[in-house]
Amino acid sequence: MWGREVNGLVLRFHLAGINNQNFLMRDDQTGTYWQQVSGRAIAGPLAGQSLKLIPTDELTLALWKAEEPGGSILKDVPDSISKYAKPDWDLKMKKEPAVLSYPEHGLVSRDLMLGAQAFNEARAWPMDRVISEKLIKDRIGGHPVLLVVGSDNKSVRAFRTPVSSDFYRVNPPLANPPSANGSLMIDSATGSEWNFQGCAISGASKGNCLERIGLIADYWFAWRNHNPATTVYSGPR
Amino acid sequence: MNRRFPCPAFLGLLAAVALFGLAYPLYALWPFRGQTPGELHLALLVLRYRSVVEFLVAVAALATLFIWRHQHNRRSGAWVISATLLVCACGLLTRVNVFEVLFHPVSGPSFAPVAQSHLDGKEKVLAVKIGTSARAYPVRNLSYHHIVNDVLGGVPIAATY
Repeated sequence: MWGREVNGLVLRFHLAGINNQNFLMRDDQTGTYWQQVSGRAIAGPLAGQSLKLIPTDELTLALWKAEEPGGSILKDVPDSISKYAKPDWDLKMKKEPAVLSYPEHGLVSRDLMLGAQAFNEARAWPMDRVISEKLIKDRIGGHPVLLVVGSDNKSVRAFRTPVSSDFYRVNPPLANPPSANGSLMIDSATGSEWNFQGCAISGASKGNCLERIGLIADYWFAWRNHNPATTVYSGPR
Repeated sequence: MNRRFPCPAFLGLLAAVALFGLAYPLYALWPFRGQTPGELHLALLVLRYRSVVEFLVAVAALATLFIWRHQHNRRSGAWVISATLLVCACGLLTRVNVFEVLFHPVSGPSFAPVAQSHLDGKEKVLAVKIGTSARAYPVRNLSYHHIVNDVLGGVPIAATY
């Protein structure tokens, strides 16, 4: 998600082309072409500039609804309803051919990854592995980070953690709808319980929140193409 | 020596330029093929300047047609007229970016309170919060529209997927 204001100008974007299966956006105001995945202007009057990244989460609707009961959701555009993706859309996409191949780390082009660009490092985690492990303790740019799977067993968030803390997973009881505020982790230093927002809900740390790290869900080939120096999680560092 | 301007050959050149301006970006940026950095650079260069170039080429083609009429070389008539029409048609068609016709971003989106949503809770959404304003964009919608030009909490944003 990107901010649309550049140099005081509010831009309106169209989809204007494809670059290795990532789309290009053209703005009405200047005719500049922007790469969707990086937010960078690659041709036109604003070439070299970047859009401001707006932090987002990719969550299940049930979990987001539990977190933000007063929030609003995009309505269908009536003329487009028949064109919207069906529930098995992501499974079909995994079978589509990819135009790039990076046979590294035992990954194939359409493996779904979670990527982060932080502390001068690009790092990616295979989505299946994150979901399977539920809590991943890792490092990025030398800083300790956690990847935590939500109580819906589908949504994932990442946080920077204090060097002195060690976190352990608490497996919450399955609930429908999923809990927005339940305990998912305990830290060994204070014994505090932490929720999916990265905030302590009990113990000495109650009220404190961990620093959020933005995650991007993308296919391996797309992530690798735009992050050639990326490292990939294969186990604790 | 009476040397005539080679109208048919010049129009052939103009038609080739006009066709290149129309077809190359479409070929180079096509979704189901990979793009090299050189191809991407050239395609975007063509997209950026082709309106001006196609206009100048069309003016040149019409001028050449005018010259040809004065030369009365009627043996090449069909070719000259066809090439001029082709150049003009390319000039008109390059006013349209095919991708912007094929894809349908949303500008001026509508929202409903999430409590009223009938979507399955397992559907993935792209969620954003600015200040106290929270919005979700279902992936099922974004995977079709790809871009939603929106304003949240007074901040112009583009939800992209």
